[in-house]
Amino acid sequence: MDEHTLRYEKIDFLGEGQFATVYKARDVKTDKIVAVKKIKIGSRLEAQDGINRTALREIKLLQELQHINLIGLLDVFGQKSNVSLVFDFMDTDLEILVKDNNIVLTPANVKAYMIMTLKGLEYLHQNWILHRDLKPNNLLINREGILKIGDFGLAKAFGSPTRINTHQVVTRWYRSPELLFGARQYGTGVDMWAIGCILAELLLRVPFLPGESDLDQLSRIFQVFGTPNEEIWPGMKGLTDYVQFKQFPPQQLRHIFSAASDDLIQLLDSLLAIYPPKRCDCTQALQMPYFSNKPAPTVGSKLPMPSNVTKTETDKPSLKRKLLENIDGGSLAKRLQF
Amino acid sequence: MMPSRIGNMPLAAENPLGLSWHDSAWIPILNPSNIMDYFSERSNPFFDRTCNNEVVKMQRLSMDQLQNMTGLEYILLHVQDPILYVIRKQLRHSSTQATPLADYYIIAGIVYQAPDLASVLNSRLLSAVHHLQCSFEETMSYSRYHPSKGYWWDFKATKPGLSSFQTTQSAPKEATSTPKEEPSTLFQRQRVDMLLAELVRQFPLPVAQTTSNQINGVTIKTENTTEKGVEKPTEANSVGNITIKQEPVDSNNPENLNGNMPSHIEIKTEIKQENMKPPPEKKHRVI
Repeated sequence: MDEHTLRYEKIDFLGEGQFATVYKARDVKTDKIVAVKKIKIGSRLEAQDGINRTALREIKLLQELQHINLIGLLDVFGQKSNVSLVFDFMDTDLEILVKDNNIVLTPANVKAYMIMTLKGLEYLHQNWILHRDLKPNNLLINREGILKIGDFGLAKAFGSPTRINTHQVVTRWYRSPELLFGARQYGTGVDMWAIGCILAELLLRVPFLPGESDLDQLSRIFQVFGTPNEEIWPGMKGLTDYVQFKQFPPQQLRHIFSAASDDLIQLLDSLLAIYPPKRCDCTQALQMPYFSNKPAPTVGSKLPMPSNVTKTETDKPSLKRKLLENIDGGSLAKRLQF
Repeated sequence: MMPSRIGNMPLAAENPLGLSWHDSAWIPILNPSNIMDYFSERSNPFFDRTCNNEVVKMQRLSMDQLQNMTGLEYILLHVQDPILYVIRKQLRHSSTQATPLADYYIIAGIVYQAPDLASVLNSRLLSAVHHLQCSFEETMSYSRYHPSKGYWWDFKATKPGLSSFQTTQSAPKEATSTPKEEPSTLFQRQRVDMLLAELVRQFPLPVAQTTSNQINGVTIKTENTTEKGVEKPTEANSVGNITIKQEPVDSNNPENLNGNMPSHIEIKTEIKQENMKPPPEKKHRVI
């Protein structure tokens, strides 16, 4: 145990979520920068169940998964009653890039992000795992321009025909219509829909379907894709939370995504098919002409980075090291206390 | 106006030089600030919607970003406020370097592609040869032959033949000239005349006038253009002047083509004047 706390030197505080606090740290052993996710203990009631469920999911799944486009779980260690997960350090994420108005996401950049996301997700689906929380915020990017899917707190194995899943997954804006209608049995389609929404967001630079409630979310979906009927979506009326919606006519995606090429519209149409079985899977998506047509995807090193990240690359580490040296007399680095 | 052009119809689909586009809803409200929006209308065949302009627009970013991008873009090259706008399509390599691909001009709200020099020369040569051929054919219709008398000219007896020739010739001519009137309404022509008058007033050039008269001996309209060509040597200006000038003068020309190469303007006008001389005479006789 002690060996672990000594191994990771805390560099910076990165962020705090509902279940965990994340720090940037240096792995003394390999001299690599890593992200340490310290799971919060939570209330006594939660602690009774033992380890936090999302953390358990992440540990359980990520230990078995290894792919360039999935976040790598490097180490897990516990101290006192806490559990900490050590991940690859990622400089930024897609949400930050999308919101940065100084960055232009060219068609080639968008293609590069999509390929990496789909490849990671394809691997995940091939291993019978659904991510269930895909959103720009969870698509992490490092300074080499490699995108990795992160946050497996909601990921789960799928495919068992008798298993009932909860439909309260996926951040609302990226939630597929079948989840919104309360489907308890679903498949890779929920992830594919989210990918479609993310792609749309990369193109528009604003969330494509920012619903304010679950009902508003459905109504926004139907305003774009048209209200489905039994012919388009057989069995829709049998879903738990089915409600009748006003009839909206479908819109042309090419009018919404004015600069999108035709092959890209084809991909969007396929990812955002209302009827879940009609949605393409990752393998089919990657086979579509969009990915083999021009322009070629941008190479990792040429992908845009937010201004603060590119700066860190040159100045910040040295400065930080200097500061640390001054404070701690050069030899004693701050220890992570867990 | 495009469909009425003779012999050009099958070509027009593939040749952008035979195309024009406009949206009448926009025409009354066009100004320098919305001309690019007008040009980027979905139905405009000259606008490639995968260009950087549209990417930036779709991503709701500032148009200043165009400078930092590479690839296809459109810029507003020249404005002559109420009537003429020139838009350039170019391939940007860096923030300072861009290769022009094509120029488009918008006169009175109608968008045309400016032709390259080769097309202009081709068209001019074609029209010259065409008119020569017409004159030969017409001349042939006056010639008479008898084994005992040999050849002679007969201008009186061939009247019916002549008229039949003329009707065949004049019908398409009218077809070309009427729609060509269409784009420039009375209002627009007045505006052009006003602009031209204004330019002449601003830059009086008596010397140029006399020389151009001596050398070319052409109509007032060409005089204006030569003046303007002399005074405003920038490319965009000369493009604009040529185009404005050409509509009225060039009504007999099968292809309404305009040059955008400033260095060759003189050559072109000369060719045209040589060509143009016979047709107006003929036209007078016809009408």
